[in-house]
Amino acid sequence: MGITGPVRTVTASPLPGGGRSLAGRAAGGPAAGLAILHAAVRAPFTGRARREVLFCLSGLPFVLVNPVTVFQVTAVLLWLFWRPTPARPPNLSWRDVAAAGTVVGLVLLLLVATGAARGIGAACRRLAARLLGERIAAPPPRRPRPGLLGGLDARLRDAPGWRAVAYLLLKLPVALFGCYAVVLFWGVGLINLTYPFWWLTFRNHAPGVQLRPVPVFTPFGWFGQGTFHVATFPGTFGAFAAGAGMLLAAPWVTRAAVSADRWLMRGLLGPGRLAQRLRDLEHTRALAVDDSAALLRRVERNLHDGAQIRLATLAMDLGMAKEKLGDDGEVLDPAAVRELVTSAHQAAKDALVELRDLARGIHPPVLDNGLADALATLAAGSAIPVELTTSIPRRPTPAIETIAYFCAAELLANAVKHSDAGTIKADVAGRDGMLVLDMTDDGRGGADPVRGSGLSGLEQRVSTVDGRMDIVSPPGGPTRIIVRLPLRA
Amino acid sequence: MTASHRVRAGTAEDRALRVVIAEDAALFREGLTRLLADRGHQVVAAVADGDALLAAVARHHPDVVVADIRMPPTHTDEGLRAAIEIRRDHPGTGVIVLSQYIETRYAARLLGGNAAGVGYLLKDRVADVAEFADALARVARGGTALDPEVVSHLVRASGHADGLAGLTARERDVLALMAEGRSNAGIAAALVVSAGAVEKHVASIFGKLGLPPSEADNRRVLAVLRYFGS
Repeated sequence: MGITGPVRTVTASPLPGGGRSLAGRAAGGPAAGLAILHAAVRAPFTGRARREVLFCLSGLPFVLVNPVTVFQVTAVLLWLFWRPTPARPPNLSWRDVAAAGTVVGLVLLLLVATGAARGIGAACRRLAARLLGERIAAPPPRRPRPGLLGGLDARLRDAPGWRAVAYLLLKLPVALFGCYAVVLFWGVGLINLTYPFWWLTFRNHAPGVQLRPVPVFTPFGWFGQGTFHVATFPGTFGAFAAGAGMLLAAPWVTRAAVSADRWLMRGLLGPGRLAQRLRDLEHTRALAVDDSAALLRRVERNLHDGAQIRLATLAMDLGMAKEKLGDDGEVLDPAAVRELVTSAHQAAKDALVELRDLARGIHPPVLDNGLADALATLAAGSAIPVELTTSIPRRPTPAIETIAYFCAAELLANAVKHSDAGTIKADVAGRDGMLVLDMTDDGRGGADPVRGSGLSGLEQRVSTVDGRMDIVSPPGGPTRIIVRLPLRA
Repeated sequence: MTASHRVRAGTAEDRALRVVIAEDAALFREGLTRLLADRGHQVVAAVADGDALLAAVARHHPDVVVADIRMPPTHTDEGLRAAIEIRRDHPGTGVIVLSQYIETRYAARLLGGNAAGVGYLLKDRVADVAEFADALARVARGGTALDPEVVSHLVRASGHADGLAGLTARERDVLALMAEGRSNAGIAAALVVSAGAVEKHVASIFGKLGLPPSEADNRRVLAVLRYFGS
């Protein structure tokens, strides 16, 4: 059959993002072919296809009933049907008055257009989030200005509002195409599928009766007379096949319409690039501030519960020992004094260890020699053997080095705690103006930033300097985590 | 050392006290227990949080409670809240609150207009074993033991209080030491003056603050409270 041809090409270049499960099975030609055939047949029945159809249909009212469309339609009608009444300029006809009124109405409409478009845009964003899972951040609200002129000025300079207007203008053809896809591919496709059934029900005339052929509609050819006609019962299977084909194609056609709409929404209904950047920066700044506050609180807590307690106990022991030693003369209970001094000695040593760990946790001194040395020290102390390779030709700024170091430390600690890995490969390299920390372990995988707060904390810290973290950790392993940081914050 | 010895002499009865300890750090709790046992006191319960402290006090009716301020579950002021509750519900029980920091607000909340049978000390003070034991005995008797840190904080905070305007610098020093809970002998040792001079200052302070002659301890407490402007 003709299926094998296209299937092979698909296997050679797998669908972009087209299902990881397919890629897993796509080892051999025939098996992969079956898998893709399976996916293609199932496509019309998926929830996604249903939601996309719903999205196409639900968008239509917004496009038809909105000030922008009303403006367009009225302007076109005005242009088509109104001609200035010739001669007699002082005496206006009622048609002139109506036309002038319409123009004034249009100008007023233009003034409310941005507000209305914003509202409709918000509804479209909600629909997209609900049906498509496409979450688009809301643009910043219009800044209210005092006074009539100020309000007018704010309306006219409302950039997100005008972008929403542009969206409504551009959405009109896209939405019409979407409805066309739904009506023709889904609706007519379904009808075509039922031709044999209707034929048997209504056309069961006696043999010899001459019947008018029935038209079959497909996307090819004009609607009026249908693409082809069927006159016999076997012929209805042609219609059936056409319907099946249309239904198989239907999800992809609706998806095309939906994709175009998504693209428009992302570009025109979002906060805009600068505003988005601003929002991201505000977000990451908040993260950075919270992070440093949390760090200080942690340090205080560690000091309070650790070294301070040990030193207080140590002072107490020494105080008691001093009491027992007395001002002069013989010591009454040397054994007790010995015990107290031993305990104080131990507390002093413990306090030293805790203070050292705490100091290193704030800033590892070896980091001053460069990231490579610091990571080598870190790797040497890891409970799981680490194969470390570093090539950092240009030294990043201290803040980046610190973040990279603590990322590596946290990832190593995570691997030791959760992965059950035998070895860890860590590669740290400066590439294309970025510092890339690439860490792979052969453990059991399943690392998920949503579940573990450690990874999401790292992700946040990395994002404060415009870095990013990618995690690939299928159940069963291996886990690969790549952290990319700019060389300077 | 001589000073603390003299202070000790002042409370020479050193009767064995029944003490409840609340402290979440096991190390410090054990050290404290050992220290108190060593001084002949009886630690009837050593607990690690505020609720357990309240339960232990209700059960044992101790002479004095030694409580850390920061304890589980929130590690903020559990000990303080428990202490205030104990002061309200068990007036016969002295309360010493220990902390690694001095917070003036905490001191004000703890005193709550009544400086009898209450203490607020830095944990460091425990290392001066004799003085700590003395503070414990004093609070158990209904006296006051405020950390010099608390006092100096409060002095700064209430520096412009009107009632104190008439006091001389030396009298203020004496009052500050009184606020710490020191006896006349202790104040004399700290200021390196004679006990008689201290007595004169104290009488003058009482007079200037308009405190009527009554039982000496009570007047001292009133003076201290006046001092804090409560």
